[in-house]
Amino acid sequence: MLQFDRVSLPDTTDQLRREVRVFLSECDDLGRANSDFTTGHNAEFSRQLGAKGWIGMTWPKAYGGAERSFFERYVVTEELLAAGAPVSAHWVADRQSGPLLLTYGSEAQRQKYLPGIVKGESFFSIGMSEPNTGSDLASVRTTAKRVAGGWLVSGTKLWTTGAHLNHYIISLVRTEPPSENRHAGLSQLIVDLKSERVAVRPIKNMAGGEDFNEVVFDGAFVADDDVVGEPGNGWEQVTSELGYERSGPERFLSAFRVYVEFVRLVATDPSVHEAAAVGRIAAHLKTLRRMSMSVAGMLENRKTPNVEAALVKELGNNFEKLLPEIARLALPLSGDRTRFQEAYQDTLLLSPSFTLRGGTREILRGVIARGLGLR
Amino acid sequence: MVGHTQQLVLDSAEKIFANGCNKSVLDAAEVGQFPEALWALVRENGFHLLALPGSGAELEDVFAVLKIAGRYALPLPLAEVLLANRWLNHDGDELISIGLMRDSQVVEVPWGRQASRCVAVNAQNELMEVTGGDLRRRSNLAGEPRDVLIEVQSSIVHVEEPVFELMALSRVALSAGALQRVLELGLQYATEREQFGRTISKFQAIQHTLAVVAAEVAAVLRSADAAVEAIGDARFAMEVATAKARTGEAVGIVAEAVHQVHGAMGFTYEHELHHFTRRLWAWREEYGNEVYWQARLGRHICALGADNVWDFLATRA
Repeated sequence: MLQFDRVSLPDTTDQLRREVRVFLSECDDLGRANSDFTTGHNAEFSRQLGAKGWIGMTWPKAYGGAERSFFERYVVTEELLAAGAPVSAHWVADRQSGPLLLTYGSEAQRQKYLPGIVKGESFFSIGMSEPNTGSDLASVRTTAKRVAGGWLVSGTKLWTTGAHLNHYIISLVRTEPPSENRHAGLSQLIVDLKSERVAVRPIKNMAGGEDFNEVVFDGAFVADDDVVGEPGNGWEQVTSELGYERSGPERFLSAFRVYVEFVRLVATDPSVHEAAAVGRIAAHLKTLRRMSMSVAGMLENRKTPNVEAALVKELGNNFEKLLPEIARLALPLSGDRTRFQEAYQDTLLLSPSFTLRGGTREILRGVIARGLGLR
Repeated sequence: MVGHTQQLVLDSAEKIFANGCNKSVLDAAEVGQFPEALWALVRENGFHLLALPGSGAELEDVFAVLKIAGRYALPLPLAEVLLANRWLNHDGDELISIGLMRDSQVVEVPWGRQASRCVAVNAQNELMEVTGGDLRRRSNLAGEPRDVLIEVQSSIVHVEEPVFELMALSRVALSAGALQRVLELGLQYATEREQFGRTISKFQAIQHTLAVVAAEVAAVLRSADAAVEAIGDARFAMEVATAKARTGEAVGIVAEAVHQVHGAMGFTYEHELHHFTRRLWAWREEYGNEVYWQARLGRHICALGADNVWDFLATRA
């Protein structure tokens, strides 16, 4: 599990990379100071990406996908993040909701939801955390009660990124009372965020953003057709999402704009200290990227690299927090710091979330420890 | 990918080093006793000639063997023997070592006292053949002989390869193997040692410490492989920079953490852990420490400019 095999991106990706760069250079609304995937919600930008064929690009053509490889998707996503593009609107749908439906969803669900995602017109949120459920995901209390033709959902989801703007939330809910096997009796339901008896309340974060929310279900109706997979199979399904969720470039590039502005300030005539800071960050980035690409290769080969993904996230998130520190301490007194300060402050204020979202550092270390045979 | 023949070489290296590098051999080497029997086994199996053009092995295999040597703390100057034989096109059995040229001295010569010939890397990244000179016995903090030759004569040996970078990569490969071993020792100790009525591996604090160690080791393995994969490529020097810098950072974290897991037991001379951690601490300084390589990499990136940083990082391999 510590062996991350070499992955070389196919040479066809060079052309794709150039196309993405040209596209980005022609967008006028990229004026973002950070590379954080959760903070820039821009439906028009997502629609343009969809028109380019860069959302759901690995999915079957039958649902609007392009049947391209995980490596091609990798190139698109890393180019978007490195440029600080506003990717938040379609991010979750592209990364995990769509793949979840492709693995566990019904044919009707795929027909209904995937084409809209691919066009960049249909956006999804993750419905996992709750007020009393964070790392202990199996403790969710949101319930779905059986009624004719479907289910009535009651409970509260928390930290739901984009719920105020997105269309759907795939919620992990309890469809059977808790039993000895706490992983049993959980199901994933697609809930329309605009439906009656669903209330979305924004939560302001310490960086001043209002990207995440509280979502309250007050007996919201969900038809049987919108249960993902088998009722009761929710635990297996959510854990299968994690390989996709934990190893992508968004797990080590969040602070990348700080790096670019740092290099801009020191590039002309770097001291040893400044040059070493630039090189230290690069050594981490190059290594993390290769590990992350290696996991993309495992996904391409239909493996489930959950421990490997946890290793990438553990290293990547810690590094995202370290990057602004390395840059800050090597900053020269001279030069116009305006752009650096903007990126630095934006990123620093967002940084506490890096080691929380998608599985806390503590949970990931537990996953790794299990992989090492310690528990 | 490693072919069948290469796999046989690696398997036999694994077997020979594992059997030959026991604690008493390591202890004896540290007080200056050259491991003759082990050296004889290395020669009998042709490991010392593995890097010679035409040996059938690639440099990739050579570094894979060095990783195994690091894993067992092989107390021989194998990296020096391999690369010196390659660069001098020497297929004999004498021991040739490699040091660093400093004016009229050659410093940090592994087992210089045992060598019949010596070459040295100078500041211009050239290889010098060295003759004459008086030997002074020195050792690094792991007790590995790192001798000094004073008042030598030297002449340039023409070599097409980047000698300093390849020597640095040898330290990366050795360290990668030793880091793997240190992690294994940590895992083994944690699952055997009992306190408070259970093995200490059941404590979350220990689990998290070892998870951090595993992540560092995985990063080193990937960066070391990436540098080996870049041999012969224009970007080789910057890949060595990446690997040596990343490995050096990992060494500090891993050695500290695994010593902590071992408690006082790992602090004793009797325990084998220090044979690996002290080597790691020594090797991270040899052929450029983190800051040396970070600064080289950083200057390269600064010359490209801020708007080309991403393009530099986003390689296909």
